[in-house]
Amino acid sequence: MHVLSNASRGLGVALAADHKATRQCGAARRVTLRAQPAGRDLSASIVAIATTGDRDAFAQLFEHFAPRVKSYLVRLGAGSDVAEELAQDTLLAVWRRAAAFDPSRAAASTWVFTIARNLRIDLARRERRPQGPDDPSRAAFDPAPPDLALSILQDEKRIARAIEVLPPEQSQVVRLAFYFDKPHSEIAAELGLPLGTVKSRLRLAVARLRAALGDAS
Amino acid sequence: MIPQYHPSEERLCDHTTGAQAEGPASVITAHLGACQPCRARVRVLEAVGGALLLDLDPAPMHADALAVALARIERPVDKAPVHRSQSPPLPDWIDDKLPEVRDAWRRRRWAAPGVWVAPVRRERDGARSYLLRVGPSMSVPKHSHRGSEMVCVLKGAYVDGGSTHRVGDFVENDATVVHVPTVTPDGECVCLVYADAALAPRGWIGRLFQPFVGI
Repeated sequence: MHVLSNASRGLGVALAADHKATRQCGAARRVTLRAQPAGRDLSASIVAIATTGDRDAFAQLFEHFAPRVKSYLVRLGAGSDVAEELAQDTLLAVWRRAAAFDPSRAAASTWVFTIARNLRIDLARRERRPQGPDDPSRAAFDPAPPDLALSILQDEKRIARAIEVLPPEQSQVVRLAFYFDKPHSEIAAELGLPLGTVKSRLRLAVARLRAALGDAS
Repeated sequence: MIPQYHPSEERLCDHTTGAQAEGPASVITAHLGACQPCRARVRVLEAVGGALLLDLDPAPMHADALAVALARIERPVDKAPVHRSQSPPLPDWIDDKLPEVRDAWRRRRWAAPGVWVAPVRRERDGARSYLLRVGPSMSVPKHSHRGSEMVCVLKGAYVDGGSTHRVGDFVENDATVVHVPTVTPDGECVCLVYADAALAPRGWIGRLFQPFVGI
């Protein structure tokens, strides 16, 4: 049950592999992201849970998201059992909090990502503070803030495309940040790049993503 | 009113991926509660996280995983007691998002005339988070930092090096900053502070002040 400490162990190897892969790809090659599964829209399934308690919709979401959430957690260094458990908890939260999901404001994947991330953070904190007060009133995740209307962000395909068209060196830094849960300072150390280089790549990447996804601010 | 001082892009990214330690994460969360534009920034990053999540190769779940899940959703939800009492004079987003900060307020103790400190948490590596209240027109004695410091203003305002920091503003100071933050005359100022090392007082007033304040 040491989600975070395990993460650091595998990082060096995995970073090196990703780094190498990016180099081998060269500047020209870009990866295509998988976006939406066939069949019913993921967002519609969450809405169906909220409105009618649709078990089939839940099963479909579970089959799609649980293995990916597990995969995400394993990448971050969780053991297989912990990852399985957190993936279960994530999907249980999807069921229970479905009414808080607003398909006009966020993509299903965004919402599920934030739930998985927050449950993982909560677990890591409980581990570090086993006898600390475990405040049950604490929400494990934020529902979509009601004051945001970034309609493009509900569209999984457009988000995926915005990432695909990033220059490889920017895409690499973004992926490492999300897949290894390392602060930018540690990514710089692992890649053997100056901190300023990682910061500027991250900033450029985020600026491009914002431009593509229509930052409202 | 929208805050004028914001976390860097890299900080928001670390915040979104969950890479940030609890102390800095609280200060950023406090800022996000007050700052709609930064919430929108985080939203974009979360969308990226979601897209990358979908792109991962699935890791097979146990054979009975779906059956387990379908059984779990039928169980009644235990209603967690929501204890919300005696709200401190802090913004309501603190109450909602940062219960540990709200709770810390009850542990505040006067450290010097006009100054109280309420410890929020202390990490094993010596980093700590606390609420700091300084009275109107008062200054924190001249100091620098042995490490880095993050501050979010929760109430009132202070002036530092010609800039005024108001409610919701996020400020990050590193060891190169030597300053004398001064609270504006119109009221007390309460900040959530994360510091990865103790202050380094400059001058005898500060050295006298520090042991009492304990920051």
